[in-house]
Amino acid sequence: MATVNGQKVGFGRLIWEYLTTVDHKKIAILYLIAGGFFFVMGGIEAMLIRIQLAVPNNDFLSAGLFNEMITMHGTTMIFLAAMPILFAFMNAVVPLQIGARDLAFPFLNALGVWMFILGGIFVNISWLYGDAPDAGWTSYASLSIASPGHGIDFYAIGLQIAGAGTLITGINFVTTIITMRAPGMTYMRMPLFTWTALVASILIVFGFPPLTVGLFLLTFDRMFGSNFFLVEAGGNTIIWEHLFWIFGHPEVYILILPSFGIFSEIFSVFSRKRLFGYSAMVFATVLIGFFGFMVWAHHMFTVGLGPTANAIFALATMAIAVPTGIKIFNWIATIWGGSITFTTPMLYALAFIPSFVMGGVTGIMQSVAPADYQYHDSYFIVAHFHYVIVGGVVFAILAGLHYWWPLMFGTKLNETLGKIEMAIFAIGFHMTFLIQHWLGLWGMPRRVFTYLDGQGLNVGNLISTIGALLMAVGVIVLVINIIITVAKNDRVVDVDVWDGRTLEWAVATPTPEYNFFQTPLVRGLDALQLEKEENNGVIPSAGPVEDVHMPNNSIIPFILTLGLFIAGFGALFHASGQDWAIPAVKDLPSMRPWSMILLVGGLSITFLSMMARSWVDDHGHYIKKERIEKEMREYEERKRGAN
Amino acid sequence: MADLQTESLNKKELDTLYKSRAKEMRIQLTSFALMIFMTFIAFGLVALEFNKYLVGAIIITLAFIQVILQFYYFMHMKDKGHDFAKLFILVGMYFAIAFIITFVFIVWIGTGGIK
Amino acid sequence: MAEVKYNVSNANWPKHPETATIEGKNKFVGFWTFLAGETVLFSCLFATYLALKDSVPSDDHLLAADLFHLELAFVMTMFLLTSSLTSVFAVYQMRNNNFSKMQLWLGITVLLGAGFLALEIYEFIEYVSLGHTFRSSAFGSAFYILIGTHGFHVIIGLIWITLLIIRNAGRGLSVYTAAKVNTAALYWHFIDVVWVFIFTIVYLLGVL
Repeated sequence: MATVNGQKVGFGRLIWEYLTTVDHKKIAILYLIAGGFFFVMGGIEAMLIRIQLAVPNNDFLSAGLFNEMITMHGTTMIFLAAMPILFAFMNAVVPLQIGARDLAFPFLNALGVWMFILGGIFVNISWLYGDAPDAGWTSYASLSIASPGHGIDFYAIGLQIAGAGTLITGINFVTTIITMRAPGMTYMRMPLFTWTALVASILIVFGFPPLTVGLFLLTFDRMFGSNFFLVEAGGNTIIWEHLFWIFGHPEVYILILPSFGIFSEIFSVFSRKRLFGYSAMVFATVLIGFFGFMVWAHHMFTVGLGPTANAIFALATMAIAVPTGIKIFNWIATIWGGSITFTTPMLYALAFIPSFVMGGVTGIMQSVAPADYQYHDSYFIVAHFHYVIVGGVVFAILAGLHYWWPLMFGTKLNETLGKIEMAIFAIGFHMTFLIQHWLGLWGMPRRVFTYLDGQGLNVGNLISTIGALLMAVGVIVLVINIIITVAKNDRVVDVDVWDGRTLEWAVATPTPEYNFFQTPLVRGLDALQLEKEENNGVIPSAGPVEDVHMPNNSIIPFILTLGLFIAGFGALFHASGQDWAIPAVKDLPSMRPWSMILLVGGLSITFLSMMARSWVDDHGHYIKKERIEKEMREYEERKRGAN
Repeated sequence: MADLQTESLNKKELDTLYKSRAKEMRIQLTSFALMIFMTFIAFGLVALEFNKYLVGAIIITLAFIQVILQFYYFMHMKDKGHDFAKLFILVGMYFAIAFIITFVFIVWIGTGGIK
Repeated sequence: MAEVKYNVSNANWPKHPETATIEGKNKFVGFWTFLAGETVLFSCLFATYLALKDSVPSDDHLLAADLFHLELAFVMTMFLLTSSLTSVFAVYQMRNNNFSKMQLWLGITVLLGAGFLALEIYEFIEYVSLGHTFRSSAFGSAFYILIGTHGFHVIIGLIWITLLIIRNAGRGLSVYTAAKVNTAALYWHFIDVVWVFIFTIVYLLGVL
């Protein structure tokens, strides 16, 4: 039996609760489960890639299947694993850190998560259909227009749905952080994770529309007969590259900024020191966010944009190193002289600094446009971006998982297993990707499905594969750890297991749906730490216990998204066998009239759901003061009983 | 949480409020007249076929002025409490202009929108 | 907001009814954020259009200068500009707690918007008959996706405001409905903002 809001319920009721929930804590769990699933999918794809490349002239995967693997690995990891898991943390933590009862738009939050989940499933259905996207995660138009079959269509529509969900969630977080802060929580008192979540959300607001446009152009070209990328009709494939990277570069900052936020929290808590240079950190975050939009063409140095454009974008790229450097030095200064406890999150954080610096330095090397002509499309690039994304984002996700697990699930992951996992994963990571720098400089191009014997690439590739398997072992240790922890279900009495400094560690466990018994009053940076020093750890409240207004659950987000999902299949098959279609799908069997029925039917479901939502007034409900007072007393008794 | 903070207004306060709103409406009407006027100028300049580049520069400037009027007066951006809205729209506009300039000049060497 | 008070007296009507509740304030902040995102979205469409303008496969395709009529674009502009003003009137009446006049101005806004849409459809039909279609050339694709996305926004706006008028007819004005009206009005103004750039960059610069 599971419990929902303190009541024991059956399995069916539990599923229904999660399908209809608008509670940010439950949505966080949905993001984490779905993101974790896609993370494993992407991980398996990575293993298959590395097995194929372990020895020369390997035929473990065919060339076509290999292309599908690398495409799906990149797409899955960026869009469906890393970003959703970061959203899981943002959902679980940000409202608590700012003392809010929920996000600004709980309904849209549910819509965002379902769009991501169904969009992700849509992309991955391509495996079952037997025709996965194969033009790389960047899906350059010259490749993707030529790619036969429906693979690219799954990519374009699936990401469109998931991307719309991300945009909605981004707007939601921007609004939440602007309007929902507790009394006294000024901007310059917000924990750094909240700050980075805010800046990352702003990047989403500005960065995802270009992707939306790019994917629409691709969708229309492949499925509705337009000519944006068809050179023979006057089109231009470079437009896709620009649109993709206008989105794509901010995207990596959308990933790395919340990761920086997670590490900032961890460094501060486990060094028992206030974060060094808080305002400089905030400033650096905003600056990185802004510069993130001005550098996209450094992915396109070899396209031939001309020396002036290359010079401008090279300089802007180098400039980003400055705020990033500020951050690195501030983290080091935070640890410096601190009373350090080596917990699993802290170990990840400590491993992150050198790893990320290495990735950053190779990034600066590539920002030099003439030198980039040498590195371009080689394994050097693969090594670089895995150093920043695994060494930065994945380390942060794993660290954050251990760090916030007690908050999200009310239990604690085993520390010993955690440290073993961290050691194996970190060693495996460096083993996999360090050697790839050299492989690239020795001339191994990226995205090749095999290589010849006797070119000096054998040992390097074998080392890399062994490293990748080690990373997989690390993740398996984590999975075992999670299974043991969930099976034991050893509840923590006080959520503040790490001696935390910020407000999220001041809530009751399990956290009530309304989060705080009373609206907290924030008196300074590191609100909880301040009260531990001055007020015996009790957060002052901004008012008495009151009735709390909460939103109602709703199934509409799920149905609305389901409509888009169905319409997606209609669009996908729309051009099959039509005489106006591009050569890639022209000769496939026609799917009329089913494609039309699915398209119109699905979109009708979506629009009807929207209308239903705006037509039926949903004023939410109140949680009575008496219930809150009762739960508050119960929680305090539990805590006293444990001491 | 969402209860209304109602401050009951007396007759006099209400009158002042209505007057200030009527005044605001006059400003909005003026800006509407300006917008129509600028639209006329823009279409007129193009119809009269003056120097291409000069006219191009003028009508783009007019478009920006119109949009600023629209944002400031019609969408009430001049009111207080719009700081973040200003910031967001400004940043959005900045990115927008950057993207458009790129697409016009460097989509491909030598050929772009300007021919 | 469990109890929404409809049709309150003038004395108790807040100065800024649209942002008087936390939900209203959230809507207001969230919607401006959304509009900032829309700015970037339309800029990408404009950029695509400018990059592909007059980019056709062969000489027998019509170009921008051959196609566009300033007269039609001018009339369309007048329709949309005026509808922007009428939605300002609607918000003015909403703030003055004058429900029936607010409904009236919203209705006029919808009519003007529908007029604009009819002209746009007429324009598209004419272009298609001249061989300038979504599939005829890259120029055609870029033109229709830019103008079409704007037209799609107009359709959404029309449905939205119409539904609001019908739905509100039964329940009247409250801080809850005021926030909805204000958001719809912001959206409608933004459509007009985009159109200002469309008539300047597409039509005027197109025939220049």
